[in-house]
Amino acid sequence: MTAQDKEKRAINRLESMRPLRAKVNETYLKSVEAIQSGKPAVWGMLNFYYGDPILKAMDIEVVYPENYGAIAAAMGVAQQYLDRADAEGFPTHLCGYSLTTLGYASRMMKELGGEIPPEAPLGGMPKPLFLMSSAAICDARYKWFQALGRYMDAPVWTLEAPTPGVKEFFMEGYYDAMVTLGVKHLRDFVAFVETMVGRKMDWDRLDRITNLMIEVNRVWHEVNELRKVKPCPMHSRDFWSAMPAALFLAGDLEDSLRLYQDMYREVKARVDSGIGAVPEEKYRLVFAELPPWHSLAFFDKLAERGWSFVVESFGYRPPIPIDPDVMAVSDPLERITRFSLQFFAGYYEDARQQKVLGGAFAYPYLKYAREWKCDGAMLHPLISCRSASTHLPYVADMLMEKLKVPSLSIEGDIVDLRLFNTEDALARAEPFEETMDHYRMVRQQEGLDW
Amino acid sequence: MSDQSSGLSKAQEIYSNRSRRARELKAEGRKLIGYPCVYVPVEMLTALDLIPYRACGDIREPVTEADRALPGSFCAVMRSCLDCALKGKNDFLDGMVAIHSSDPQEKTARVWESYTDHPYFHFIDMPVTVRPEAVEYFTSQLDDFRKTLEAFAGRELSADRLKQAIDYHNRQRGLVRQLYDLTKTSPPAISGTEILQVVKAVMGLPVAEGNDLLTEVIGEARDRTDRPEKKPARLLLWGSTLDDADVMQVFEAKANVVLDDSCGGVRAYRADVKLTGNPLVDLARYYLNEITCARTFRQASPGETSKEYTKDLQSRFGYLDDIIREWNINGAIMLLVRYCDPFAFEMPALKDYFESLGLPSTYIEYDYTTGALAPLRTRVEAFLETIA
Repeated sequence: MTAQDKEKRAINRLESMRPLRAKVNETYLKSVEAIQSGKPAVWGMLNFYYGDPILKAMDIEVVYPENYGAIAAAMGVAQQYLDRADAEGFPTHLCGYSLTTLGYASRMMKELGGEIPPEAPLGGMPKPLFLMSSAAICDARYKWFQALGRYMDAPVWTLEAPTPGVKEFFMEGYYDAMVTLGVKHLRDFVAFVETMVGRKMDWDRLDRITNLMIEVNRVWHEVNELRKVKPCPMHSRDFWSAMPAALFLAGDLEDSLRLYQDMYREVKARVDSGIGAVPEEKYRLVFAELPPWHSLAFFDKLAERGWSFVVESFGYRPPIPIDPDVMAVSDPLERITRFSLQFFAGYYEDARQQKVLGGAFAYPYLKYAREWKCDGAMLHPLISCRSASTHLPYVADMLMEKLKVPSLSIEGDIVDLRLFNTEDALARAEPFEETMDHYRMVRQQEGLDW
Repeated sequence: MSDQSSGLSKAQEIYSNRSRRARELKAEGRKLIGYPCVYVPVEMLTALDLIPYRACGDIREPVTEADRALPGSFCAVMRSCLDCALKGKNDFLDGMVAIHSSDPQEKTARVWESYTDHPYFHFIDMPVTVRPEAVEYFTSQLDDFRKTLEAFAGRELSADRLKQAIDYHNRQRGLVRQLYDLTKTSPPAISGTEILQVVKAVMGLPVAEGNDLLTEVIGEARDRTDRPEKKPARLLLWGSTLDDADVMQVFEAKANVVLDDSCGGVRAYRADVKLTGNPLVDLARYYLNEITCARTFRQASPGETSKEYTKDLQSRFGYLDDIIREWNINGAIMLLVRYCDPFAFEMPALKDYFESLGLPSTYIEYDYTTGALAPLRTRVEAFLETIA
């Protein structure tokens, strides 16, 4: 039996995922080629839709050091950059991706005079025209780009990202103040980008891109809604493969929209025919935070045991479209802002009603467990990524207290790949099945419907 | 507290048992509102006769309860702070105000609000830049804070009362600066440990009582004959949180700490709120612009389209230049409480800045436990030997 056959049996992957993923990969390679031929590039943080449509409308190539950190780790070259960042005086407990980038920048600028390091995988990251950081999610994601000023003279724009309190969000005028901040801030960002690239924004193009971004994410959201069905028609592995086209706006958005629509049709057909992503779905699980990119076959091993990962990390999912008027907004900057604000706010009304004041960080997992009918949660705390880890004990506590859903915590890291031990994780799966069985009974006793 | 105590001894008594004075105030019918970070505009509490009480951690208390919700690789101060709250050590508080001054502050706020049952809890969102639209947004956040405070206090927060409270707190800021002026001499008239105790005591008192205490301490220290011993090194401490005298004494065993630029030291007092019109706008400007915490994204000019490292350093750390000269500082310690990312990212750049001024410096981290004191001592002594 070939490995491909084995995977086919363990997880029934979506055919529609393959052209979508191919498009993402092709886009990345085109971007590398464009940059290598001299097109200016910007280093960007994942910004939850605030900045990306603006850069896309201005036809600017963006590389994401967060993603590049993962690539450098997977290709085995991250350690030298980590060592270098350590030698430069950065504390070793900082975000692993940030240390990789800082070490990379130090090598490129101090040792190679601005040339891309020869060992850098996939074409490397060239010296950027400017840096676009983001205040969303964690402190590292703007302090890290500020710290790069030690090695390069690229200006930094830090995108503001309001983070409302759950109760406070519903105060009169609160939402409008967030929109006002977003619109004014993005208008100044556009002016900054125009100065940096020496040309004016094509507002009609931004208008089209914004609409496509919203529509792509709406369809992607609908695809994921279909996964509530038993058996789950789409596995997390397909989610992770397909996600970049919606989250990073990778590739042509009209192509992406067509491909997500194809995916919707395939998933819907599976729902109608009762076809599951895992042939014998015994346990439905939510996965929390970044997956072990280097060990995704781990999911196949669990699928062989009947584990189906039906929903995953809120930070990478499309916003819940709660603002029906967003497409009617004439100013694309306001449309972007209102669309992006849904990323947090989509969960807030439920969170308030459920009195889970963890807002966007804990509440989504309760929603997922309840609506996707999960038997358990697999939490993947990452030693050097606090933003993806610090809320997980709270999530586990809330899941058990409110829904009697148990959690299995498997430690890993974003750059030190040795920390994730597949064999150890699999060894812990079997006893966790007993735990999930037990809590199935507990939920029934408590009147919960799964 | 003993009736006869005054000045330094009174401050030390309050420092050693902050909750006792808080409970006395509570018994007198006063309402106390906790806050974990100096970015909370305490003037707004004072204006409504609510007592701002800085909720702190305790390096002597092993973290157990907070493990329920926060992992070990999390800001050690906030873990300890939450742990104390969950153990009921702040059970006299009538409410809490948390602020998004950093990721750990924000994450802890969510847990705190979920796991405790304070009658009042408010979360203030805070932008990271000092751009005009950020100040405008922060002002709207403070206005929302005003609304929930008014509802809790059952009365209106008028502009006049707020201005009066700002005056009181500005006076407190001025008094703390006077306290630090007393360390300009050699030997200093007051030690870094004593200042830490006074400042921490003041952060749990009504502002007028705190100002009286500061006035007493300043008078006593000016006239004292038993000054702290003169040590060869005059140190600047720069870091996130330093709020424990035992930690400070590690530094002062063989040096004089003449300026503590942390949020347990001068940081919240270095400048005044400038009243120009709308006091909420003035507060927003002050807290975003004037408190020089690493959490704020500063640039030589906001939105700059070209960048020069030396100008960038000046915009972030330039205020330290005058301090170093005025206090005749000959060594700096960059102190990090483990897992504080905003400060951790600053370390190499700040070292560059100190080097540009010819000031020896070292970076030391600790984990906010008593177990950290011995290794801390070793690191400090090694540094002091290099600058001797």
